[in-house]
Amino acid sequence: MTELLQRMIRKPQGVIGLTLLVALAILCLLGPWLAPYGPEKMDFLGRFRAPGWQNWLGADQFGRDVLSRLLSGARATVPMALAATLAGSAIGAVIGIGSAYLGGKSDEAIMRTNDAVMAIPGLLMALLLVSTLGNGAGNAVVAIALAFAPGMARVTRSVALAVRNQDYVKAAVARGEAAAHVIFREMLPNVMGPIIIEATIRVSFAVMLFATLSFLGLGAQPPASEWGLMVADARQYMHRAPWILIAPSAAIALSAIAFNLVGDALRDALNPRDDR
Amino acid sequence: MRAALTIDNYGLDYLTASGVVPVLRDVSLAIAPGEVLGLVGESGSGKSSLAWALMRHLPANAREISGSLQLGDIDLQSLTAKQLTAVRGRRIGMVFQDPSTALNPTLTIGRQITEALMRHRDLNARDAKALAIELLGHVELRDPAAVLRRYPHEISGGEKQRVIIATAFGCRPDVILFDEPTTALDVITGARIIDLFARLRAETGVAALYISHDLAMMTRVADRVAVIRHGRVVEQAKASEIFSRPQHDYTRSLIAAVPRPERRLVHDIPGTDVLLQARGIEVQYGRAGLFRAAPPPATKAVDIDIRAGEIVGVVGESGSGKSSIARALTGLARFSGAISFDGGTLHGAGDMGAGYRRDVQIVFQHPDSSLNPRHRIGEILSRPLKLYGGDTAAVPRLLEQVRLPASYATRWPHQLSGGEKQRVAIARAFAARPRLVICDEITAPLDVSVQAQIIDLLLALRAETGAAYLFITHDLNLIRQIAHRIVVMRHGQLVDSRAIDAFGTDDVHPYTRELMAASPAPVG
Repeated sequence: MTELLQRMIRKPQGVIGLTLLVALAILCLLGPWLAPYGPEKMDFLGRFRAPGWQNWLGADQFGRDVLSRLLSGARATVPMALAATLAGSAIGAVIGIGSAYLGGKSDEAIMRTNDAVMAIPGLLMALLLVSTLGNGAGNAVVAIALAFAPGMARVTRSVALAVRNQDYVKAAVARGEAAAHVIFREMLPNVMGPIIIEATIRVSFAVMLFATLSFLGLGAQPPASEWGLMVADARQYMHRAPWILIAPSAAIALSAIAFNLVGDALRDALNPRDDR
Repeated sequence: MRAALTIDNYGLDYLTASGVVPVLRDVSLAIAPGEVLGLVGESGSGKSSLAWALMRHLPANAREISGSLQLGDIDLQSLTAKQLTAVRGRRIGMVFQDPSTALNPTLTIGRQITEALMRHRDLNARDAKALAIELLGHVELRDPAAVLRRYPHEISGGEKQRVIIATAFGCRPDVILFDEPTTALDVITGARIIDLFARLRAETGVAALYISHDLAMMTRVADRVAVIRHGRVVEQAKASEIFSRPQHDYTRSLIAAVPRPERRLVHDIPGTDVLLQARGIEVQYGRAGLFRAAPPPATKAVDIDIRAGEIVGVVGESGSGKSSIARALTGLARFSGAISFDGGTLHGAGDMGAGYRRDVQIVFQHPDSSLNPRHRIGEILSRPLKLYGGDTAAVPRLLEQVRLPASYATRWPHQLSGGEKQRVAIARAFAARPRLVICDEITAPLDVSVQAQIIDLLLALRAETGAAYLFITHDLNLIRQIAHRIVVMRHGQLVDSRAIDAFGTDDVHPYTRELMAASPAPVG
């Protein structure tokens, strides 16, 4: 693990990505305590106050401090995106490895169904699920997880097919091991690398998808300080007070970049050929 | 007379994350015009690095620390990238180990040969094509004009190697480097390539550096042989003398490890009760599709009997279906036919119960891929114990059984050498206390000295446990040392099956005789 970290910080992108990620983690853990004001504390004299010493990132249409809302909103955004990605990756990985293990007609059936689901765009799929399940942050997580699963299944299957042909898997099959043992103990550890990389890159998509759902009013509900919702609320005051819009947008972009950079660094660090 | 190639006091290091690794030290070799120098060494001895140093194609982390490389009057190390293109191919050619990756799969054979000829012989397209047809005819390819239009995947491995050799000779270089040109081919194809090499060399008088791990083969191709170990040349001698009068201890140990069919290692006679009886085994890969017929079966109605404690050798060239038999017997491939084992009859992988799975174990060819890289050795060995009933405390005993220290249980597979990994794979098979162990080419990727140790180990384990072996190999000399009975396969059919005593007799199948001719016993 420490070796992996060392390899990741050999390149500047890895250092930047990891630094941003650590900062994001601190925000999620300590955000509400770091915030100078309460996220829902209104100040009617300070409506649309420009960024300055009172409100570092300005204030919104109710005079709420944008920085405080961002800090406390990190919890509502990042862990949700992570949870959705984790769930989606887990579902996709099991489908992908299982399909590769079974092979033949079962593989065809599973992957064609998977392709059919994949043909529906992620956002549309999430919208469909949320409108069926009802609004709310929890349902948005489920929707994003299900929208991610087919893509992960494809990625995992392609790696698992190569692993399936390795002699240690054949040895396990010849030994008469149960399918669950072969899938989870023999194959899964050897496809983890690509899954982790794909997942870190997908977290950034999840942050944006989650923000989009909230923006459309299907994810978190007001007065929550979820970042996507903040962008949606700020839209109508865009010309009068652009900072209300820019601050959460920048936060979303930065966290997406952080996960992307870490994903790239992981891909390089986990590649055993990159030994110099 | 000036030597065609002179390597003087050459030293090479690789810089890696864990420090400087010495690769070559004080290597001094000279090849006279028209001479073939054989370079023999085991894996990791630096012999391929020397070839790449001569081709000036070293990896970025290589550091040349001493010495000089001279091709005739050219100092290879001082050449610029532009000058190099005039030397590579034209003055110094190379033939690679694996013909399947040495040709570009997206270009026709004709494009690849004529490009080299036009560049290095200053020919126009028409003359180059005419010369290419002549050259391919000269390396005994049938219908050379048709071969020119084909893509690499449309011809066999042996034909690809012929195309590469034709290209290398066609550019008329002073020296050609051969980097294990027959290792990736099966015995008979390899033997034919060696005959071709001998003929072309007699005709053209080209000098060559012939790199190989196979000391026995050297006596047939080289004038002089240099033995390299850990990057140092330990001995140089005439090819005719190195077997009869080896000077260095290492050379002696290499010679001792070369399998000789007349030196039997197994002296007992197996029992008469049949342990496993396979009847009409047909292995079928792939099903018939909507628009295509099913491919022909990989094996055609093969019958094999294995008696208790018997060593049965299965030999044949690649694609003869020998591995398919192993897969059928272990339930890894779908098959039709019947297997009688221990009183029961099986008709498919679904009939194989835990008892059969335990009694019949398999060891695979590639030790690198047969151990799960994410499991420690201890976990790998405890798995069959858990599955078939056994105490996981027996892991140290299993390691000791295959002559490995018990501390290896906490290691990862990548920390072990190829031979050690193969020992672990053997220990895993014997953890089940099997009655039949199927060895699928298990010695093929190993060096001769390691191969001899693995064979010793297998024979010792057999003496301890009384297990029978189905030993699949293409090395006829090796199998004649240990097998009680040898089965010869060709194109999925069993062509010959005879006891070892009857193997040298005159009534053997013509194909068996061809196999024997392709793997002659080492001289001396």
